[in-house]
Amino acid sequence: MSASPVYLDYAATTPVAPEAAARMTECLTRDGTFGNPGSASHAYGEEASARVEAARAQVATALGAEAADIVFTSGATEANNLAIFGTAQYYKDAGRHIVTARTEHKSVLDPCRELERRGWTVTYLKPGAEGALDPARVAAAVRPDTVLVSIMHVNNETGVIADVGAIAALSTRIGNARIHVDAAQSVGKCEVDFAALGVDLLSVSAHKAYGPKGAGALLVSRRRGAHLMPMLYGGGQEGGLRSGTVATHQAVGMGAAFEIASAARGTEHGRIAALGERLWGALREVGGVVLNGAAAARVPHVVNVSFEGVEGESLLAAVQPHLAVSTGSACTSATQEPSYVLRALGRDDRLAESSLRFSLGRFTNEADIDTAAAVVTRAVERLRRIAGHRDAGRRIAGT
Amino acid sequence: MSYNELTRRYFHDPACIGTLEGPDCYRGAAGSRSAGTWVQFDIRLGRAGAEPRVREARFLAFGCPHVIAAASLVAEQAEGATPESRLPQSVHALRERLEAPVEKLGRLFVVEDAWIAALQAAHSHITQSSC
Repeated sequence: MSASPVYLDYAATTPVAPEAAARMTECLTRDGTFGNPGSASHAYGEEASARVEAARAQVATALGAEAADIVFTSGATEANNLAIFGTAQYYKDAGRHIVTARTEHKSVLDPCRELERRGWTVTYLKPGAEGALDPARVAAAVRPDTVLVSIMHVNNETGVIADVGAIAALSTRIGNARIHVDAAQSVGKCEVDFAALGVDLLSVSAHKAYGPKGAGALLVSRRRGAHLMPMLYGGGQEGGLRSGTVATHQAVGMGAAFEIASAARGTEHGRIAALGERLWGALREVGGVVLNGAAAARVPHVVNVSFEGVEGESLLAAVQPHLAVSTGSACTSATQEPSYVLRALGRDDRLAESSLRFSLGRFTNEADIDTAAAVVTRAVERLRRIAGHRDAGRRIAGT
Repeated sequence: MSYNELTRRYFHDPACIGTLEGPDCYRGAAGSRSAGTWVQFDIRLGRAGAEPRVREARFLAFGCPHVIAAASLVAEQAEGATPESRLPQSVHALRERLEAPVEKLGRLFVVEDAWIAALQAAHSHITQSSC
């Protein structure tokens, strides 16, 4: 596999951890735990239920939550939809205003747009130039009729960390809004302590943390009395919030993956930070480059760089044979439009378009980083030469 | 975005990059970097008998792989063209050869506009010289 492109797109998805995959396969076939976890009338069901509950406990432990807080879903998109629509529906008589940010994932922004079409009002906050949201500005947007504040923990494009604890503390002091956090990019990268954050709802995804695709969870704080209306009916599983047979193998894979990610976070953080510094140190030598979110608190796993004087599609095409990276978020890169997240940070269309997101993970090593730096440097210099760019053919100090 | 073999070849290893200098050289450009596509052609004229002809062409381009490949193809195939002529092949023919999606037609027209601008610069000089 030496000819395969170097994989630096861990923020899009990760390979399933072998330990998690092994646990999952134990729950699929006739000689394994294939029973319906909702079938309480026989041993097959009881065995499956026990594995689901064990997985629930693993997820809860990794996230500083109670097992009863965990509602398994098909992923973070479903969890975000459940949080937003479920809260809006439950509290519709208390108010119809939502606060969120322009830099949220589409799975938050699109439900908000849909609620606007249904008569709700949404305030979309613009972050500062480095992508950070001031908690005081979030709190200032809360009104008496605000029922939900939805802010992501780690931005999927820039890696910028929002101070969701402070946002929750300030926002709940002002009004009665419920606080939802999209933490899809957080697990294994920075500490997530659901109870300590003081939030009501928190979405997570398994496949961003070496678990399977098609698995996630919404954490609903029982302690804080958070309530939701379900979106799916028919069976009443997951405390009535998410009907449908729980996929035992998915939950088991997610539990194992979260346990591993949580245990490895301490050692991985320093290693990834060193690799990220190595990458940025090499890329800044190209000159005319901007590290997006440089001055904000960031997870080291994401290095998002804009390159002046090169066209975005050509940059991606030039590096694609050798590197697996994203321009903007993977979910929107097919549209070939400049990243709305980087535009919200004040980058112009050209600079937003010519950005590459390198996301590092468990299997990234120094050789991968050196390959990536060399490939990108060569591509940028070549494209600048073709474009007659002022920096073509000479190295300048990084900006 | 996927690219056909011709586009990949002329994008990854384009011919005729650069500029030309001299009294027999003419320049034309179109588009803008801020709008996402900019192309410049330089052509050097010579004579084949009484007829002025393009002896060589160079290009610079800021744009997507299809634009770079198209500009390179045009520059490479320009040798022998008369200054009055249009593109060596139509924009639609270029799009077909490069299998560029239809929404990129506008970008390929920038290539044509730049080529015509270079030819017009040459043509107006020749016309003025013969007056």
